[in-house]
Amino acid sequence: MAGKDNATPTTYSPSPKIQKQKRAPVFSDVDWVRPDGRAFHQCRPAFLRTGAVNSASGSAYAEFGNTKVIVSVFGPRESKKAMKYSDTGRLNCNVSYTTFATPTRGQGSDGKEISAKLHKALEGAIILDTFPKTTVDVFALVLESGGSDLPVVISCASLALADAGIMLYDLISAVSVSCLGKSLVIDPVLEEESYQEAGLMITCMASRSEITQLAISGEWSTPKVHEAMELCLNACSKLGEIMRACLKESSSASKE
Amino acid sequence: MSAVNVSADLSSEMEVDAFRRLFPLRFYERHLLESIRPDARPLEKARDTTLALGAVASADGSALAKIGLTTMLAAVKMEVMTPTTESPDEGCIAIDFHMPPICSPMVRPGRPAEVATVISKQLSDTIVSSGMINLKDLCLVRGKAAWMAYLDIYCLDADGALFDTALLSAVAAFSHLTIPVVSLNDDGRVVVSEETEGQKMDNEPVNKDKRKLELNSIPFSLTCILHKNYVLADPTAEEESVMDTLMTVVLNSSCQLVSLHKPGGTFLAYNAAVQDCIALARQRVKELQSILTEAISDMEVD
Repeated sequence: MAGKDNATPTTYSPSPKIQKQKRAPVFSDVDWVRPDGRAFHQCRPAFLRTGAVNSASGSAYAEFGNTKVIVSVFGPRESKKAMKYSDTGRLNCNVSYTTFATPTRGQGSDGKEISAKLHKALEGAIILDTFPKTTVDVFALVLESGGSDLPVVISCASLALADAGIMLYDLISAVSVSCLGKSLVIDPVLEEESYQEAGLMITCMASRSEITQLAISGEWSTPKVHEAMELCLNACSKLGEIMRACLKESSSASKE
Repeated sequence: MSAVNVSADLSSEMEVDAFRRLFPLRFYERHLLESIRPDARPLEKARDTTLALGAVASADGSALAKIGLTTMLAAVKMEVMTPTTESPDEGCIAIDFHMPPICSPMVRPGRPAEVATVISKQLSDTIVSSGMINLKDLCLVRGKAAWMAYLDIYCLDADGALFDTALLSAVAAFSHLTIPVVSLNDDGRVVVSEETEGQKMDNEPVNKDKRKLELNSIPFSLTCILHKNYVLADPTAEEESVMDTLMTVVLNSSCQLVSLHKPGGTFLAYNAAVQDCIALARQRVKELQSILTEAISDMEVD
């Protein structure tokens, strides 16, 4: 019966996509309620744990609402043979999605773009001189995509790097903001992201007040950008505290 | 021969960790002599096993299985297809096993790991031939529409006994599966019927009484290592790398043999060893069955 696979019939998801688009939500009003009932400037509760994957040098699991990711760090280990000699260490990032991450099967991105962004966001925080000639691999798997995937992957990756004992200048925390109509919503879910007019993401090293990546898309007015950046930086430093607490907890647990 | 003698002499002087790395086979054989394994298990004992249903909200059915440190996440998504003309009243199951690079230092991004392809095929053969799912139950409208059940299993942490854990997570995901209620719309396509209060549904649902799949005889498996005349149940990744003769026994819930797989290896299996493995698998099936029943009843309480 499995032999039928050679003539795999085309399938479709029965979810009523067309119906949903008809009743587009009204975000232009001043008071609308977010899909998960949060206040506009309220982040989703973050659940973070280190040591999720035992066979990796370091790993972390992050769950922000429905966004669930696992990041494993391997190395420092031998670079690929084709690589040229390098005095400093190399960072290699790869992000992939499970086929069931998105509401419709197999609609997740191939992860190339998000991998490149993850690499750029982490690069500045890692002390590459401490592992010359070798490579650190950062691999992420998005188990479920519930919006703000990239910031969650970045925060989780920096936690996994710390868990692996890779030298960092500081932990990186990342938060994004969406602009919907007149309002700014922090840590947007998938539905809000799909209707956003403009978006902004900051990844920063909170205790050094240094920004490693700033991504702005869409149309922004100057005061709005300022407001959004203020919001993000504030949330980043709070998230940084949560990440620090998570690391302290795991290191004190391992000592006992 | 001299290497063996050297290692035997060194074992009293060397640190345990160094000895384990330099002479892994000698290290294991010394344990086997005492009928114990480095993780303090007796030879025939499987590792702690846990099962959690409903781990993925975006899937129709899902489960997270853990045997020791090996972790697998399985999820079923239901899509609609047109059945083939040879079997107009049957649906289809597509099973895929993935080993993403997060699960093991051996897997690199890009090309899939060789074992992943092997396990994928083995899983779909086992599930289809066990007759666990009656494909006729997946029919929606004869000749027009049937379910295609996509089962994807992701290995999150690889520490041996990959097939056993994958099969456990797969059957658990199918037990957790709730089929969405659908109806035919005017274009002849199948859509999810959303029940809104005070509003009559446009079309009559076609599968209101078929929300759960009936699982007939659920397959469970146990992998053992054969090494000389020892049989080690439920090996870890380290054990698998040191001793390479594996035997996987799949039995169904009434302890009938579904499949027996011994993919080569240095040691040949004698009758006695095969019978030992089957006996161990029998015990294991009972354990796994109660773990599955418990997970399902936990789910119903919530």
